[in-house]
Amino acid sequence: MLCEHCKMREATVRYVEVINGVKTEHNLCAQCASHVDMGQYSALFEGEFPLGKLLSGLLGIEDTEQTVGQYAGVVCPVCKTTYEEFVKDSQFGCQDCYSVFDPLIGENIKQLQGNERHVGKRPQKPGMPAAGTGTESVGNVPLLSPEEQVKLLQARLREAVRREEFEEAAAFRDQIHKLKEETESHGEMV
Amino acid sequence: MVKWYEMPVGESSNVIYSRVRLVRNWSEYPFPGKLTDAQSAELTGRLTDGLRGLGSLDGTNYQFSCLDRMPELEKTALLERRIINRGISKKQAPAALILSEDERISVSLNGDDHIRIQVVEPGLALGGCYRLADRIDDFIGERFEYSFDEKYGYLTSFPTNVGTGLRALAVVHLPMLSRRKNFQSLVADMGRFGTSIRGIYGEGADNFGSLYQVSNQKTLGQTERELVDLVTKTAAELDAQERRLRQEAIRQRELACMDEVYKSYGVLKYARRLTRKDAMEFLSQIMAGVADGRLKLVEPCSVYGLMLGIQPANLLKTADRLMDKEELDAARAVFLRTRLPEIK
Repeated sequence: MLCEHCKMREATVRYVEVINGVKTEHNLCAQCASHVDMGQYSALFEGEFPLGKLLSGLLGIEDTEQTVGQYAGVVCPVCKTTYEEFVKDSQFGCQDCYSVFDPLIGENIKQLQGNERHVGKRPQKPGMPAAGTGTESVGNVPLLSPEEQVKLLQARLREAVRREEFEEAAAFRDQIHKLKEETESHGEMV
Repeated sequence: MVKWYEMPVGESSNVIYSRVRLVRNWSEYPFPGKLTDAQSAELTGRLTDGLRGLGSLDGTNYQFSCLDRMPELEKTALLERRIINRGISKKQAPAALILSEDERISVSLNGDDHIRIQVVEPGLALGGCYRLADRIDDFIGERFEYSFDEKYGYLTSFPTNVGTGLRALAVVHLPMLSRRKNFQSLVADMGRFGTSIRGIYGEGADNFGSLYQVSNQKTLGQTERELVDLVTKTAAELDAQERRLRQEAIRQRELACMDEVYKSYGVLKYARRLTRKDAMEFLSQIMAGVADGRLKLVEPCSVYGLMLGIQPANLLKTADRLMDKEELDAARAVFLRTRLPEIK
């Protein structure tokens, strides 16, 4: 489809505007789109865009106010990056941000990258510990197969219930649940 | 020492150069965005000290420089030669650059990430670039513990680089292919295969010189080798398509094609004033003419080297004085006139 504005270049931007319930759709090329005011998305088409805004767009973190409100309390304990900051700049503050924000944006990273797991090179240094991702190492579960992890977590859950540490137990329960879900979805893919 | 881009290219490929870059972070510090100036200085200093012996890897001579103390013009010239990226060139906080004499290898410290390794080779040689980058990566990794995660791989400031931290890139000269009506849809289609293509000096008709860079879009969930192969195949395909189009055009309208190249040569050889846009477009004609044998020069010449030399900051650096636009256009004409070899 050609750009509706210049009618010369291929339309690569589909812009849907809803004002007072009235929906209008535009199909533009990147050059023409850069002249249209699209709020935070305008940045996508400017020559010198702030990378952060672009990435937030790509990451699909759209409903900013709502999600930021919901996750406003999430702060990386190490570098103090807040969820709001991450949405604004799409930039992590430190390695621990990945485990802190993984439950909130893991899906977005998966969409952006088309994958959720690294398969390439690993650092050569012996005894290199994993920084932890919130899936494998929460609750100090070492890197075991998913089934082994579930068993270990179940044992920890029973122990926590016995000690009447119910918050801790709930965290283990959620972990087990998540692991089982992941294992199942992997199974389907294979 | 002769820079890699000043070396004349022997083969007639439309792939001008290949580049691999790896980004890494040191697990001891937060990412650069969260560092105080004092931490930036400490990190940069410790990394620089630890990498003094980088040359021992293969005998390459490296120059170490502090980017925060470098004059703006010098930094802009490095940016024009694509040795550093825009992020680090604008940075005020302490940052450093380790650069090989031939400018083929560079390691930037404390840019968007702590460590950015870049290796360039003329022509299509991404495999070779990666092998060298990989060795440098091992050398650094033995000295500094990287931020690495079982799930996400090498952790980076931006989630767009996470995993391998690898961007394989080839710069391809596509004067004919990019003028085709269906080029935009080809650009859009490439995204589906995991590569992206964009103009180096602008988009669409504004990309003077018709140089395009093709690179991998994704960095997670594929091996380094797969990513390098993907970009290599894409670049080779673009090169082949451009070649076919040009051969076809020469077959159909040989005189017109010859005329274009020789007129461009004439302007570059005799003009007294050249804007960047004009110079880039005429050089693009020369580049194509040399590649497909329409233009024979008495001595080999790196047209890409000339393209870098006529960018404003590099021209100002060569002249070593400040100039207004008119003077710059005149200096550009002199630069090209004196460097362009005679025709056979």
